[in-house]
Amino acid sequence: MTDYGHDLLFGAFITPTAAPASQPVELAVVADRAGLDLATFQDHPYVSRFHDTWTLISYAAARTERIRLSGNVLSLPLRGPAVLARSHACLDRLTGGRIELAIGAGAFWDGIEAMGGRRLTAGQSVDALGEAIEVIRQVWDADEAGPVRVRGSHYEVSGAKRGPAPAHDIGIWVGAYKPRMLRLIGRAADGVLPSLSYLAGGPADYAGINRHIDDSAGESGRDPGRIRRLLNINGTFSALGRSFLDGPAEQWAEDLAGLTLEYGVSTFILATDDPAEIEEFAAEVAPAVRELVAAERGDQRS
Amino acid sequence: MTHRGRAPRFGALVTPGAEALPLARRAEELGLDLVAVPDAGEALDTWTLLGWIAGRTDRIGLLAGLEVSDREPAVLARSAATLDLLTGGRLELALTGEPGALGEAVEIIRGVLDAGEAGPVRHLGKHYRVPQAQRGPLPAHRIPIMICGSDPALARLAGLTADGYWGPEAGAILDDAAAGAGRDPAELRRIAVVPPAVTVAELTALAADTILIRTDDPDDLRRFAEQTAGLRPADPAPALQRSSSVRAKRRTGIDYDNLPAALAETAVEPGDLDYARVRSTYLRGGAPGLVLRPRTTGEVVAALGYVRAHPGLPFGLRSGGHGVSGRSTNDGGLVVSLAALDSIEILDEGRRLVRIGPGARWTSVADALKPYGWALSSGDYGGVGVGGLATAGGLGWLARKHGLTIDRLRAVEMVLADGAVVRASEAENPDLFWAVRGAGANFGVVTSFDFEADEVGSVGFAQLVVAADDPADLLVKWGAAIEAAPRDVSGQLIMGMPRPGRPAFAQLMCVVDADDPETIIDLLQPIAAVAPLYQQQVSLVPYAEVMANAADGYHQGQGDPVSRSGLIEHLTGEFGRAAARLLASGAVHWFQIRTVGGAVADVPEEATAYAHRSANFSVTVMGSSQRRVDAAWQDLYQHFDGLYLSFETDRSPTRLSDAFPPATLARLRELKRRYDPGNLFRDNFNIPAEGEPR
Repeated sequence: MTDYGHDLLFGAFITPTAAPASQPVELAVVADRAGLDLATFQDHPYVSRFHDTWTLISYAAARTERIRLSGNVLSLPLRGPAVLARSHACLDRLTGGRIELAIGAGAFWDGIEAMGGRRLTAGQSVDALGEAIEVIRQVWDADEAGPVRVRGSHYEVSGAKRGPAPAHDIGIWVGAYKPRMLRLIGRAADGVLPSLSYLAGGPADYAGINRHIDDSAGESGRDPGRIRRLLNINGTFSALGRSFLDGPAEQWAEDLAGLTLEYGVSTFILATDDPAEIEEFAAEVAPAVRELVAAERGDQRS
Repeated sequence: MTHRGRAPRFGALVTPGAEALPLARRAEELGLDLVAVPDAGEALDTWTLLGWIAGRTDRIGLLAGLEVSDREPAVLARSAATLDLLTGGRLELALTGEPGALGEAVEIIRGVLDAGEAGPVRHLGKHYRVPQAQRGPLPAHRIPIMICGSDPALARLAGLTADGYWGPEAGAILDDAAAGAGRDPAELRRIAVVPPAVTVAELTALAADTILIRTDDPDDLRRFAEQTAGLRPADPAPALQRSSSVRAKRRTGIDYDNLPAALAETAVEPGDLDYARVRSTYLRGGAPGLVLRPRTTGEVVAALGYVRAHPGLPFGLRSGGHGVSGRSTNDGGLVVSLAALDSIEILDEGRRLVRIGPGARWTSVADALKPYGWALSSGDYGGVGVGGLATAGGLGWLARKHGLTIDRLRAVEMVLADGAVVRASEAENPDLFWAVRGAGANFGVVTSFDFEADEVGSVGFAQLVVAADDPADLLVKWGAAIEAAPRDVSGQLIMGMPRPGRPAFAQLMCVVDADDPETIIDLLQPIAAVAPLYQQQVSLVPYAEVMANAADGYHQGQGDPVSRSGLIEHLTGEFGRAAARLLASGAVHWFQIRTVGGAVADVPEEATAYAHRSANFSVTVMGSSQRRVDAAWQDLYQHFDGLYLSFETDRSPTRLSDAFPPATLARLRELKRRYDPGNLFRDNFNIPAEGEPR
């Protein structure tokens, strides 16, 4: 039982389809109005049937009022850390603090290479992401004296001006499954963002994810409780409860509350392009999970 | 200040800071044409800021000043396409950088944005290596790419390749570079920046067509808007001028420059950005020389006049562009696309009368009728257009209960070959009304259809997968189950070629026009029992949901598939064995049988040009080799009594007598003589006025 006691966040994982062009924006607006906390979009810059994710986020941010936005996750190899840092800080300021930075080391290397990116090995890509996080934090640290200086083997920045500073402390969330990347998160990042459908052993795999992150955080003197545990989920709303996340909203709530109490997962991002599912998740599932978790946490405290 | 005949544009150049959005909104309110955000490097990120401004403005043009060196050009291109799509075509780019690298970047960006070009973008240059980037997404309009900077090499680059130049007076460099590249220097926009204190006299003296005031003061914007209001030409609609590179892609034999003005506004030719959206159809690649997109009946009349003036050219008529028979695109000819005539209007709620344009798609029709509890049986796919289907027959999900689509037709408005606009119904021009229902494409362009819709609420929609180890046996049993089923049940069977090492299967789909789950299940039982069931999915859904199966986006068909069609009364053992041999031959990748019969057979044979009313089934196969498909089909042919012309690609004269019984064909020929003696409407399932020479 590992519950880090984070406040709970609920989000939508929206396909950035370019046809019809306005569909992902409309879904973000639905999520905003429905009261979800997050609207997130996958990022595959080599796939031409998708919008450019960052441009979509900038535009969707302008069309929404309240909801937070992020990639899910942005592809580092084709974006570059300094541009990522500045663009996120810029939009965070424009939106009054509604932007988070979710990033991945790169997944489909054939596609990345086809677009002109460099192919890295798994180990190299972990190092590159570590360097990128360092660049990003230095750019954001606008009050610090001296220019940005990172001498990495993948990113070398010497003398770039710092800033702008974001409006709020933007979380750096990393899409990760394997030990080296999880340990990097423990050392340097603010959250881990895997997808349930990629966890071969199902939700139970989260125990291993936590162990790597927590050990590494402890070794670097960081509080593991500061690292948010996020999860992309997918499921089916159905009248009869059939299996994990396949049933009525009440069953979803129990399934998800279980993940919070068991593994400390505190952010659930539902993959869907159906406005009705977004609304049901926001109106029926999210409040019920919060209630169940609050009751359980209250009992433990008393 | 006007530059070489271009209408001038006025905009605001704002600092990329927190005030940029309010300034952009103020500029929009004041009626300025664009807001430009330069790449200041250290302030807010220009591209992000522009996306934010885009989301909170509605009309104003957006000019992004970007330094390309810290961005991947291919990613920048997709970003540009995204913002252009989201804003409905408001984006322009002003790029700067080291001249050599910038030249390469522009090439990559153009390549990615040219989504209609074949193959991936490949650029192996000194500054960038892009081995094979996918093209697209296709932006909403051709995004102008301006070159920005004071280096003469940049002016030269602008002249060579760009859509405009933003920099100091470049003298002859720009013009010479353009002329050297075979371009008309007048095609380039010139952007000039002026201070707030500019006078009207100074503005008038400028050699630029896009003038930006550099200010962050809303009062300056107001003064500038007032100053420049008088400098706009009285007639704001500039003549549509295509650049030399667009004109270079024109085809021979088409009088592009004498297109009637109304048609010219929406026409698309091979060099246009929209060409990628209109050249091909669902199943076929095409390369027409000109696509006309009339928006009114009057424009259809004008379009047909233009077609008559080009008698030697192929002429495709298109509604949704799904036509399996493939005549709605061509190579080097004319296409009249009716996509803009897509209105759906309730004429008389009491009589359930609706008026629908030929360009509407059936998914939209189903959505529009759903609130009334109505539906029209159409085909099986929502992306199909109304015009082609409703002039041929319409073999759909509700056929056995409610008949063919044409059986619900009550009147049409159409444009004849000579340009006359007529109405046809049982009372008015009844001959024409008879011909339209089954052979309409031969007689004119229907510009609106009046249908009497049926009352249809929720329906049962079943998708079953069954074993097809013995395809002949399966066909016989399925055919018998369908014939024994009440009319509430319509559906289809789909099989592909058997694959070694994998079990053979068939997909059975059914729509049951009933809203009671028990009735639906009862009616489906005998059909599900025809063979061992591998998978089943049954849902109770509005009819509109069954039709909500169309892909979004434009058609990108390739190749030229072969399709054959036959109508048959019963699926006999002999037919089943012949079909099994055809499947085993590997010549066809698609084998589909749709149910007809029921209400379809209630209509007398002579009532409409679609005459083979006694058939219970429509069989369609598709393959890629005409020789192989024809050879395999030969064995089935003897079992058929007629064909459905929309699913037939064979153009040999025998097909005419397959499609129409002798009396029907004789009457059609006589009407063709009367209504289209010159055979203007020929690129379809053509019925020549004269019979074939004996």
